[in-house]
Amino acid sequence: MTTICIASGKGGAGKTSFAAALASSMGQKCIFADCDVDAANGAIALGSQNTNKQPYFSGPGFFINKSACTGCGLCERTCRFNAITKEPGSQALKITQELCERCGACAHVCKFNAVQLTEQQAGWLMESQTIRGFPMVHAELEPGEDTSGKLVALVRQKARAMAMDDKLIIVDAPAGIGCPVIASLTGADLLFVIVEASLSGIRDAERLIELANNMKRPMTGIVNKAGLDSDIDAQARNLLKRNGIELLAQIRFDPSLRAVEERDKTWAELEGQSGDEIRAVLQAVKSRITKLDKNGSKHENSNT
Amino acid sequence: MSIEAQCVIAVASGKGGTGKTTIAANLAVILSSSDSVCLADLDVEAPDCLGYFQHAIPIGQPENVEILVPFATSSHCEACSFCTKLCRFGAIVAIGGVVTIDTKLCKGCGLCVMACPQGILEEKPLKIGEASTFIEGSITIVEGRMNVGDIRSTSVIEAAKTKASLQKTKYQIRDCPPGVSCPATHALAGSDYAILVAEPTPFSLHDLGGAIRLCKSLSLPCGVIINKDGFGNADIETLCKNLNVPVLTRLSYGQDRAVQGARGVLWDQDDETSKNLKGVLLNIKNQFQQKNDPRETPSERLEAIL
Repeated sequence: MTTICIASGKGGAGKTSFAAALASSMGQKCIFADCDVDAANGAIALGSQNTNKQPYFSGPGFFINKSACTGCGLCERTCRFNAITKEPGSQALKITQELCERCGACAHVCKFNAVQLTEQQAGWLMESQTIRGFPMVHAELEPGEDTSGKLVALVRQKARAMAMDDKLIIVDAPAGIGCPVIASLTGADLLFVIVEASLSGIRDAERLIELANNMKRPMTGIVNKAGLDSDIDAQARNLLKRNGIELLAQIRFDPSLRAVEERDKTWAELEGQSGDEIRAVLQAVKSRITKLDKNGSKHENSNT
Repeated sequence: MSIEAQCVIAVASGKGGTGKTTIAANLAVILSSSDSVCLADLDVEAPDCLGYFQHAIPIGQPENVEILVPFATSSHCEACSFCTKLCRFGAIVAIGGVVTIDTKLCKGCGLCVMACPQGILEEKPLKIGEASTFIEGSITIVEGRMNVGDIRSTSVIEAAKTKASLQKTKYQIRDCPPGVSCPATHALAGSDYAILVAEPTPFSLHDLGGAIRLCKSLSLPCGVIINKDGFGNADIETLCKNLNVPVLTRLSYGQDRAVQGARGVLWDQDDETSKNLKGVLLNIKNQFQQKNDPRETPSERLEAIL
């Protein structure tokens, strides 16, 4: 089993489109793990039928029972996240769920047992069958919920449990470099860094590369949306070069790549010159993955 | 919970790469021609606002964003494991009298310190990021930047929000992170209005739905800018109609826009787009008036926009 992860730092750099095209060209040899749980688009890109759906619970949240609260304010002073305020027109205090970090300090200090724990569903963990013949694991996080890192870990674990020895797990990571990205990178044998050939894309990829270096993940680079400004393309390639990352492929900025998604296709199924270029890129990517299988440079144990 | 005397407009999206930062920067430029404005970069994992302001001058030193993390002051831990049982982040373990603290997982809530019966835990500050202030022309830019490898983006966002509110500008434009989980929620919380930037693609259509639900759960009025109009044919308009959210404007797409986006160029030379965005600000003002929003401050503050 080999796990590859696709990430970019910046949003909209082409992670999901690239990951879907790769998965589509791998066919039944892969499992797609959509780890962008708060903007999950893998199922749209691949065309899929849900086969299993489980509620996801992120752990209990804290609520103040108005009738038990005396309004003493101790919890308000204890909370370091400014999540507790006076309820308007009432003596009682209120926890703003969106700001609450669920540490439980309020419940610990309350002398009147007014802080209660309530478990609420925070999303769904799903398995689906894509119309391309391979399964995918994905999730939907309720808007405003935290612990997306935990849900990402569940998506990855489920994909691992489903994968046979010879399968490739393709992890589509979220934007940024935070908790869910770290959870997506964990256990990956190879990270595909998608560098959008824009100044912001380069800056954001640089922070991702720093993170992946700290996590000791092997990397390979793909420059996407190239050709708008040759100087910026060179800067994108230079970012990879000075970090000792190979440039595996460069994908041209091409509006027809976008158009293809509207017709339930991936980049891999595009006709004409754009399609030929993409298929050449995917071929290079596949050879790189095959090389990885042979080397057997796995990180199976770093699965937290 | 709006910040005093400041009208706060958050720019968010759900999907990444739809044009949040570009639109936030341009709105700040438009407002700056008549009023004081602070652009708050709350995308602390991937901050990019400064890319639009090449001549921005730093004001003072970057401020360290710190949280308080525990440490054991003596080896007399009796291994009662109160701290271990109470910590909901798995950041502290007390076994055999040895306390092990993982400061990377700690959220700095202080619960273990309060709970330790031996009183051997104390706290020290740990830097998790920076909040910096810059000025270009009449625009103040506050940037939150989380340390690479950290996971406490929400604390950095809150620190940047506080710093932005202290600028005492009439307007604050927030550039929010993508997604709909905790970082986006913190960035949106406390603002007066959310502008959601969508592009006409199936991905953006899906993610916009989540962003609108998030705004509704925060009781935050919102409207949608359809950016890159013509780039795809996903029906953003119908989604907005069904969810009863106004489409504020459409900004057309062209190859030149893609080049400008790559270079991080403002749209201030483009009269039509500037006029469009001015109209958006006016539209927001009208929405406040129509709804007769009980919070008198935002509508009063928005009164002066145009």
